[in-house]
Amino acid sequence: MAAPDFYFAINATFRFFYERWGEEGLTRYWEALGREYFAPLSRHFREGGLAAVEEYWRDFFAAEPGGEVTVRRDGEQVTLEVRVCPAIRHLRAHGREVMPLYCRHCDVVSGTIAREAGLRFGREGGDGACRQWFAPAGEGEARR
Amino acid sequence: MIGCQDFCGHYDWTFAYLQREYGEEALRDYWEQAIARDSQAHARALIAAKGFQGMAEYWGHTLAEEEAGYVATAGANYYRVDMHRCPSLGFLLERGQQQFADYCEHCIGWIGPLMADYGFAIDHAHNHRGQCWWEFRRASEAGAPSAPGEVAGPKDVRLRQDWESGPIDRYLRSRRE
Repeated sequence: MAAPDFYFAINATFRFFYERWGEEGLTRYWEALGREYFAPLSRHFREGGLAAVEEYWRDFFAAEPGGEVTVRRDGEQVTLEVRVCPAIRHLRAHGREVMPLYCRHCDVVSGTIAREAGLRFGREGGDGACRQWFAPAGEGEARR
Repeated sequence: MIGCQDFCGHYDWTFAYLQREYGEEALRDYWEQAIARDSQAHARALIAAKGFQGMAEYWGHTLAEEEAGYVATAGANYYRVDMHRCPSLGFLLERGQQQFADYCEHCIGWIGPLMADYGFAIDHAHNHRGQCWWEFRRASEAGAPSAPGEVAGPKDVRLRQDWESGPIDRYLRSRRE
């Protein structure tokens, strides 16, 4: 049930937290979401390693409607090349104002999921196209 | 990234988080402000402009997109939905994933304020097992809800053998009984 109109609610939820409790409150919400709701995913990544990370994100983006994303594993890093972010594409296609901190949720939520799994997460770009990566926490600077 | 494929899971978790961290009033405010006024602005626009026809267009699109098992019935002075298989609650029940005590409450939480804004009253009941019914009428014309089968015929969810096999929450003229 990957209904793209749910992106409207995700965007509105971020805006609600931001308007009520500021960036700090929104970040606390994202951290708790990563730590609590996604705890099973962190366990899965911890147990399955980068192969599990690669498989999860490949399946994830295959199910999200409207995105153009390539997932690849190069040695000790899984990279997500997001050419078209499905959420931002859908929001813009329907004239919705994208909440200004929208892209930050990937940093905080995925960053928390990664940390809880003994990994680290990075992102560059945004606003509809970005590159994200997961790598073991102890490794040196991730390749971009 | 937070996706739409498991939206119902993190939506439900968010209800529990809001209630736990900020209280019941914040959760009600979230449904009214974030969902009814922001997220569901497309529903608001349709219902404001077209009334019952707008409801039919909104739920026709949304429930098809969510692959719901439902029947809609429309008349000159009402719009009715019989939900036999709620995809949203079904997602949670299938996974044993409910974090919030009453997930079904979110629907009246956003639909209630939206309908009130445009002068519609709601009769509604849900059984916490993926079935519910809704009747919308102009508040000025609203009386008692239809009798089981009167409007939707044999597809009235209240005629299911399992409809009353557990607790049911009821709303009459937008007020909880």
